[in-house]
Formats: sequence, structure tokens, C-alpha cells
Amino acid sequence: MTAAATHCPYCALQCAMTLRADASPSAEAGDGTPTKAGGARAGGPVTVEGRDFPTNRGGLCKKGWTSAELLTSPERLTRPLVRRPTGEFAEASWDEALDLIASALRDSRQRFGADSVGVFGGGGLTNEKAYQLGKFARVALGTSRIDYNGRFCMSSAAAAGNRAFGIDRGLPFPVEDLDDADTVLLIGSNVAETMPPFLGHLSGVRSRGGLIVVDPRRSATARLTEDGAGWHLQPTPGSDLVLLLGLTHLVLAEGLADLDYLVERTEGFDEVRRSVGAWWPERVQARTGVPVARLRETARRLASGRGVFVLTGRGVEQHVDGTDTATAAINLALVLGLPGRRGSGYGTLTGQGNGQGGREHGQKADQLPGYRKITDPAARAAVADVWGVDPGTLPGPGVPAVELLGELGQPGKVRCLLVHGSNPVVSAPDAGAVRANLAALDLLVVADFFLSETARLADVVLPVPQWAEEEGTMTSLEGRVLRRRKVRDAPGDVRSELWIWAELARRLDAPSEWPTEPAAVFAELARASAGGPADYSGLSHELLDTGIAAHWPFPAGSAGTPRLFLERFAHPDGRARLVPVTPTATESSPARGSALTLITGRYLEQYQSGTQTRRVAELDGAKPEARLQIHPATAARLGIADGAAVRVTSARGIARARADVTSGIRLDTVFLPFHYAGEQCANLLTEGAVDPISGMPEFKRTAVTVEAIGADQ
Amino acid sequence: MTASGPLRVVVLGYGPVGARLVEELLPAVRRGTAALTVVGAEEEDAYNRVLLAEYAVGRAARERLDVTDTAAARAAGADIRLGAAALGIDRVRRVVRLEGGESLPYDRLVFATGSRANVPTLGGLETARRARSAPPAGSAVLDQGPAPLPRGVVALRDLRDAEVVLEAVRDRRRIVVLGAGVLGMEVALAAREQGAEVSVVYHGDVPMARNLDTGGGRMLARAARAAGVPMVAHARAESVLTRTDDDGRQRFAALLCADGKEIAGDLLLLSCGVSGRAELAAASGLPVSTGVLVDEDLRSWGDDRVFAIGDCAHVASPGSATPDGRVPGGPAGLIGPGWRQADRLARRLIGEAEDRTASAVPLLPDERPAVVMLKAESVDVVAGGAVTAEPWDDPDPEPTSHAAGCPARHERQVAVWSDPAHGGYLKMVTRDGVLEGFVAVGLPRAAAELTLLFERGDELPADRTALLRLDAPDAQSISTSDPFAPESTVCWCNGVTAAAIGDAVSAGSTTVECVGAATRAGTGCGGCKGRIAELLARLGPAVPTG
Repeated sequence: MTAAATHCPYCALQCAMTLRADASPSAEAGDGTPTKAGGARAGGPVTVEGRDFPTNRGGLCKKGWTSAELLTSPERLTRPLVRRPTGEFAEASWDEALDLIASALRDSRQRFGADSVGVFGGGGLTNEKAYQLGKFARVALGTSRIDYNGRFCMSSAAAAGNRAFGIDRGLPFPVEDLDDADTVLLIGSNVAETMPPFLGHLSGVRSRGGLIVVDPRRSATARLTEDGAGWHLQPTPGSDLVLLLGLTHLVLAEGLADLDYLVERTEGFDEVRRSVGAWWPERVQARTGVPVARLRETARRLASGRGVFVLTGRGVEQHVDGTDTATAAINLALVLGLPGRRGSGYGTLTGQGNGQGGREHGQKADQLPGYRKITDPAARAAVADVWGVDPGTLPGPGVPAVELLGELGQPGKVRCLLVHGSNPVVSAPDAGAVRANLAALDLLVVADFFLSETARLADVVLPVPQWAEEEGTMTSLEGRVLRRRKVRDAPGDVRSELWIWAELARRLDAPSEWPTEPAAVFAELARASAGGPADYSGLSHELLDTGIAAHWPFPAGSAGTPRLFLERFAHPDGRARLVPVTPTATESSPARGSALTLITGRYLEQYQSGTQTRRVAELDGAKPEARLQIHPATAARLGIADGAAVRVTSARGIARARADVTSGIRLDTVFLPFHYAGEQCANLLTEGAVDPISGMPEFKRTAVTVEAIGADQ
Repeated sequence: MTASGPLRVVVLGYGPVGARLVEELLPAVRRGTAALTVVGAEEEDAYNRVLLAEYAVGRAARERLDVTDTAAARAAGADIRLGAAALGIDRVRRVVRLEGGESLPYDRLVFATGSRANVPTLGGLETARRARSAPPAGSAVLDQGPAPLPRGVVALRDLRDAEVVLEAVRDRRRIVVLGAGVLGMEVALAAREQGAEVSVVYHGDVPMARNLDTGGGRMLARAARAAGVPMVAHARAESVLTRTDDDGRQRFAALLCADGKEIAGDLLLLSCGVSGRAELAAASGLPVSTGVLVDEDLRSWGDDRVFAIGDCAHVASPGSATPDGRVPGGPAGLIGPGWRQADRLARRLIGEAEDRTASAVPLLPDERPAVVMLKAESVDVVAGGAVTAEPWDDPDPEPTSHAAGCPARHERQVAVWSDPAHGGYLKMVTRDGVLEGFVAVGLPRAAAELTLLFERGDELPADRTALLRLDAPDAQSISTSDPFAPESTVCWCNGVTAAAIGDAVSAGSTTVECVGAATRAGTGCGGCKGRIAELLARLGPAVPTG
């Protein structure tokens, strides 16, 4: 047997696991990393064991336990596919596929300019790939049109964190710090389903009665507050910002603010103090549906002493005011004096596997490696030097994901698109419009391990390795850089993205070096990140293989930074910024008659757009379809029985699902998971409206009508 | 927009609504497209009057009342004059005449002058009553009649009033509140909680009679009495009795009622409603009723260049006056609608200043009647809309809502839950399932939900008890009342139910580890291992774990 100590392929908790595979020698040479004893042959079964690690302590959730099944899936892509004039896919050689792509890209660039080629990345790609993809776009394609699905995930919290702290690391402390908490305010996150092993870090606070969950649904996580473990605030969707302003108002009103901390470590308190003056508790109750007494109880508990954390998730961030809402959560934490104090703090729970690292190294439209700004001349010069190009040749900032998807196939805009590690036909808002735009492209190239819904629309599909078939690094939700290790070779003609981009760069006569070994790419990433906020320059695969707990920033010569902000925040003056925020559509919600508010979210058994988990029999068997959660009283009014087929309609489109009638949701709210394709696709309903600061779409405040449909419809 | 320069906007009044308008106009001021001058009578920056009662009893610090950044507005270029009063308006020359003689030219004039407290007709207060038509004489005496109120008598309207009340509360004096409206009840309950001796005197049957039905009002009166506030109903206050202080000045001693009852105290707090400050508008020939009459665009009925917002604005369609000259409606007297008006007017004025098309200015949305919440820690009262209908009243079909000859649908329905002994009361008045009004006492979750349903015009669940159940102690845990019910999830990480574990036990699993191997339960965060062990103990013979 050959074994690899690696981490789970799914969420940002990156639970540690050991993979074991048949040890027959690999057909290809190993990739030279020190721990690797040569990959096992493709095709045989791989077993999964939990591995002791601070985040998961040997445990895994259902997704992790079953993850290896995908390695042997019969649906696995193993040869490049090229769409023939007849419309069908046919297998092709790599040379044929890459020549076709390179020629189309070169042609498009010559005729329509570099920005006629777009790149869409993913938060599941390793650091090495995220970095190389950003470099490939800027150096080999010369395009500014690159962004990624992390825009749908972490962008609001990232923007808020950068604004407040001068840096964006999801959790600026190790996850274990939560173990000793007295109080955790968890806003808009259903960790019990999205990263279950994380619950181990909440057992302490639950035993102390201090878990406060904010969610319009009585989610699995909200139910963890039962039996004295804490309490659940159930505001109406989209009112989180008002709720947070109200809590901050109460903290100030009751004299619970940490004024010494505010004076010593922050700027902007006075403006925020005045701005929350308008949000007295009764007004907040009228907006949110959360009773005043609950608000007071919450404010008092948050101010009750040591070990207090404020954590946000997509529930508050995936809104057109997501950045401001995350900012309001940070303001609350700052007024309480939490960030930068050992044993307390503010954090956001990163979603995708490499949602943290993926947002640091250049996949973002406005970003260069090391989390530097592409508009900053010094950053451009430093990175161009590492890449061996003239800084003047690097494009400027592009546009965020929703705008990029909106440009596809439009006159004078993007005509060719490369998609890596993403399935926007299912995951992007207003998915119907995205599908139409993709169809209008001259060339769509999708790299994936399965024929995802987006890949089905492609002109060329490129088969790439899964996590157990590659080396690399991932950066977890706590900013810890982890090694992903290979246990066996990929099947068939599967090739790494690093190789694909090197081949394309060569065909496009691109300058710079294009290494294909992950360790070499990481070494270049480390150099390119030196001096940036997310500084990896002290790290290498070799050092990581010693098992070091490497939290960035990790500049050369440091030992890493498990806890940020203990001495200072990352703004030049070392102080955090409180930024006053106000709800825009504050006062009147228009009379809506029978409209309900749709929120989207996740199931334990599915991950993201379901490309992987819908292909695992055990997972898909447990959650084979989207079910629309609806309150019994609302269902009765609409004549909808549990399990009945319903049609959900918004201004964008129509989705169909069966009803899940449950008292665990508000009367005015319905919930649909977004993992599914076809007519069950929740994003057929959502709108392409975005947060003006972060570019985050509105996923959780869609006005819909719901009706029962007969079997014949 | 003037041909030569920025649009000159003069705002009269710098309360919370005026300040909101100023904030919203600042972008245009910064861009130089609008020139903004504000005239405020109080020396203080605008503050949040909603919290004045809490400040008056010592429960809110002064800075909690701050709602705006006057320094920032000034830095942006706004000319904000505090302690100043406008004494006259020349609408022909388009200038405002200020105390001290200065004249301010305007292109657009906005009344945000708010309202003043009513002084009731009582013996001893005659000279303090202000004639509605009397023109303003100066910032310091803006709300005063020929003479100030006697010592020991106060109407809680501004910071100076609040400080008088605060002193009485701190000294644990006897406070008599005249009037049982929202403000009167709030200050009475809060002052009592802070240790003052308080009674409430009102002439009707129940408190908050404008907002509550009889049932809800009785619940509130009962709760107030339980909190130690005597409620003197059906009282016709006639005059104020004074005594002579040591310094020879007259001071409040007691309130004398028509039935001869004397209610003694140290402070009489008048809470008899407010009236819009519209005399300046009236004196300049603008139409006024209970406030400055403005159309749905907040524009004066009589002058296209003049607007009014907030407590001094009476929004009504021009021509809606009844034959006797009355105009229905009146200022809401609440901050929410005032802020909405400020936002809309700012957008309109910026549009005018920057030559944007009028279509960019949003139309006034249908205002639902405002929801009133009593701010008190000891009792929860929320009400909105028309609430007086009772369950067995005539169904009152809406006359215009059905075609002639068709059966009357759209009947009004009233549902009531009343449990005085436990302090719970709920009334829902609906038509076609949509709330026309509601009262909720002692049911905070239901009150909060009904507020949302009322403001949106959403349809209520047909089973109205769904709302009542929100406040039930078990409302939060219905789905998990039995943690060992077959369908309840034991292991979240792996989505394993009690039934699945039962199957594993039936198939021979005898330890937590065996169950984990068979079902994956307990192999995630491990937090459910205790429950698995409990299940094993329930389901099978006792076996050693390990």
C-alpha cells in the first residue's frame, strides 16, 4: 500500500485524512517531493482514514468519508473532448485540443484585443494553480478579464476585512481558540451542515450556554442552541445589517463598549456611534422580527466578559449590502474590543476548500499574488520582476465575476472563456442568463474531472486530476498553509492544469517561465508574494512537509502568524477602522402581497454545484433532489402539501422542486439548496445584482411566488 | 437650478428629520451643485427625540441621542446656524427673515420645524398656552405663550424639559403624568422603574386610546399598575394648584380634577399630544391644517418652491379638503415616516440641482399606518392600524371592493386571544387575510412578526394560532422534542438518524465504535458519542464500551 497524509477535497476546514492505495509502481515518474514514495497505479480503490489534526481531530463528515469514490467513478473524464461540427463531443489528443485552443485564442486576441479572452477560476484550485492561472491570464493572455467563483463566496467578508483591518484572513486565529469561548455569535452560517467537524470546536461554548445563532431558518446549527446551549435569533432575510446595528446600539446604550480599546486601537468610533444612534431596539425589532428582549439579552451576553467571538458566514455576506453587513459585524466586534485580543475575535468562515488561498494569489480581477493590488505600481513592479516581464505589459484591473459573466458573448466584450474549477451554469446568479451568454461565445474551454453542466456547453473539455492525484498546497479557513499530497496517478490522459497552461503559454509564445512541478510553482509564488499582505515567502513544500503549523503572513525568516492583530492591525498606523454603514432600503419594504423571500443554501450531503457529490451514490442517495423548505402555515395558505411538486417563480425564471413543509423556517421565507441543475437549479431565480464594493451577488433575498403544480404540468 | 450658481436650499429646523435631509443633501453640497443653509432654534446639534424619555429618566446617556455629525456637514460646506429662528418669509422676493435682521435668499425652502407639545386647557396654565396663529418671536421662546409654564410643570419635548424630569427622577420625586399616550406611558413606566413615584392621569377608559382597543388598553393599564404606576382613568383635569416656594415663586402642588379629586405631586408632566409648528408657514400665506399642507411630493399646496417634511408636514392631496375646510389626515408624529420623507425630498432636490429628469425621483410609496411600540422593559405593547373592531361586529364588507350585484366578499375578520392573568393579548383585524390592524401585548415574537406582516401587507396564515405559538416556550424545539425519536438526527457530521443507529444495533453493533463503523455516526466532530451511548443503553443489553 502507498499512503498519503493529505486533506479533504471539499470545504475550507480542510480536515486531515490519510489516503491509502494499491502500491504497485506508477507508470510515470514521481514528482520529486520528498515525502512521496511514488504514486500508485490509477484504477484501484483508495481508502480514506481520518487523521489527527487540530481542526478535525481525526473526524470526517459524510462527504469526506466518501470522497475517494469519485476517483474510480465511471463518469470520470480521461481524454480531452472537442466538439465536432455535428455538435457531439469526440475524444481528441492533447495536441489537437491545445492547438485548437491556442489558435482560437491567438486569433481572438489579434482581431478583438486581449480582453476578448476571459478566464474564470475557482476557490477549489490549489494555491499553485490559483497563482499560475492569474499569471497565465496576465502574462500569456494579457487579459484583464479574470475572476473566479470565490466572488460568490468570500468577496464581501474580504472587502470588509481589508477595510477594517487592512488585511483579509478569514479567521485571524487558530480554530482551537474557539474551544475555550464563553460566547460565540454565529451569524449566517450553518456549520452543522457545511463543515460538520467544526462543531467539535463549539462544544465548549455550548456547554457554557453561549452559542448564539442568527439565521432565518431553524437550521441544524440553530438547533444546536437548544437545551440551554444558547439561543437562536430568527430575523427576516436581509435584515442582518439592521440587527447588527441594533446590537451595537445596545452595547453602547448599556455602557458595555470597551472604550479604552477603542481609543487605543481604533479609528472612526465616533462616526459609528452616531450612525447606530438611529437604531434603537424597538425600531430594530420592527425591521428584523427579533424581539427587543432577545436583542438586549444578546448584547449583554456579548459584553459579558472573556472569550467572545463574532463569526460571519455567507448568510450575511451574500447580499447586495454584504460588505456593509460584514462591516457592521466587525464594528460590533470592535466596539466590544474583541479583535486582536487573545481568546476572542472576529472571523469569517471561509467556504471553499481553498477559498482562502484562492483569494490571495491573483485570481481576483484586481489582484496580484500576495494579496496585492494590481493598481499599485510597486506591486506591479515587484511581481513583474519575478515574472521577468515589463510591468507595463501587465493589464490593469478587470471586472468582478457577475460583470464578467455578463460580458460573455456581448458585442465588443469577451468572446473566449477558459473555466477552471467552476460550474457557473449552476452556481452563478441568474443562471439562465449565464447559460445564454456562454452559448454566444466563440470558444468555451472547461477543465474539470467530470462533465459538469458548464462543461456540457463547452467547445473543448480538458480532463484534469482530482485532489488525490496531485501535489500542492491549500490555505485553510484559519490561514494555515497545508500540503495536499498525491496517493496515486490520475487515470488515462488526465493532465494537470499546470501542464496545460505551460503548453498553451508555449504555443502562444508567452514570455516568462512556466514550471509544471507544483513545488517549483510554489517557490515562485512564495517569491512573488514577498512583501504583500499574504506573504508566503518563508514557505516551501519542503518546509511544509516537516509538519509545521504555517499560518500566513509567513515572510522569510519568520515562524508564521497564528494570531494576527495581537500587537497591531495591518493598516499603516496599526489601528483598526470602524466604518459607519447604513442600510440603503431602510425604511419601507414595498407591499408585497403574496411574495415570499427565497434564500439559497446547502445540504450536508452536497457540495457547491454538486459536480462531485451528485456523483457519489451514498451522498446523492441521501439528498437526491432539491426540496423547497416552506412553513406549514404558509404551505397551507398556498395549498401545498409536504412532498408536493411546486413551481417557484421570480422575475428571472422558474424552478421546480418538491415541498419540504417544516416549521423550521419563517412564515415569510422559503429555502432552496443551490446544488442542483436543470429545472431544480435555484440560481435560475436569483438576480445578477451585486454589492457595489465587493461584487458579491444577491443570493439570499429573492422575491418569489410559490405554487403547487399538478403531476401533468 | 439658478442660471448662475448652485441651487440655494434653506432648511428651517434641525431636528432628526431636518438633519437627515441635510445628510442626504451633502453629496450635492460637496459637488457644489447645492448651497445649503439650516436654521435651528435649539443650540444643540440635532438629537434623537425618540429616546428623549429614556434620557429623561436617566437610562440613556446624552451621547446616545446623537444622530448626526454636524461638524462633518459643516466641513462639507453646509451653513448650519443653531440658536437661530426664522421670523418671517417673503415668498415674492424668496427670502427668509431671521432673528437679528438678516435675510436668507432661497431657491427652495423646506419646513422641518417639527412639532411642539400641546398645553391643555387647565386653570393655572392659561398664559402658557400658545395661540396657534401667533407668529414666532425668537428662538428662545419659540414654543412659549405669553408666559412660561409654572415651575414644576413640564412638557417633555426637548433636552431642557428632559433635564427637569431627570432631576425629579433622580430625587425620587412624585411625578404626575397627564395623558396616557405612548410618550406618557413610556416615561411613566421608565421613571417608575428608575425609582420615582409616578401616577398617570387620563380622561378616557384606557391608556393609549389612539392606538389600542379596549382589550389591549386594559392589559396595558393592568401591567402598569402591576409595575407600581397608579392609573387614574376617567379623570377630567381642571386646574393646576400651586404652592409658594421658599424663594417666593409658584410651584406645582397638585392636579385638580372635575370630580374634586386632587392628585398631589412635585412635577406635572404634560403628555397631551403635539401640534406641528406651522405658524410661520401660515403667516406667509401658505395653506396649513394640522401642519403645513403638502402634496404627495411633499410640495406646498400653495408654492412650488416650498416643501415640508416630518412632524410639521400634513401630507394630503390638494383638493381633499372637506366642505367645512378640514383636511383629513395629519402628521404621523413618528420618526420613520419623517426620515423616509427626508430621503425622498433630498433625492428630488438633488435631481433639481443637477438637472436630472424628474422621473428619477421616486414616487411616494403608499404609507401604511405606522406601527406603535411602547418602549418599556416591563411590558410589551405593539399596535398598528385600525384596531377597534371586535369579533362579533358587523363584518363590514368593503363597499367599493366588489361589483354591484355580486355577493360581498372581502369581509373584515377579527381574531382575539385574551389571557389577562398571564399578560397575553392578541388581536388581528384582517381583510382577505391581510392585516388592517393588530394589537399584541405580552407576546413579543408574535408582535414582531405581525409588525412585518402589517408593514408589507403580507397575507396571514389561515391558522392564526401559528402566530400565537411563536411565543410558546416550546416553539423553538418542536422538531426535536424527543431527541431519540427515530427520525431525529443524532450525528450531524454524517447525517445519521436514531433509526439508522437502531438498525445498526439490530444488526449486532454493541459499542459506540461498532455503531460508528456501521453508520459513520460519531466519526466526525465526535460530539454525539454520548447520545449514541445513550441510544445503545436504551436499545440493547448493557455492554461495556471500548
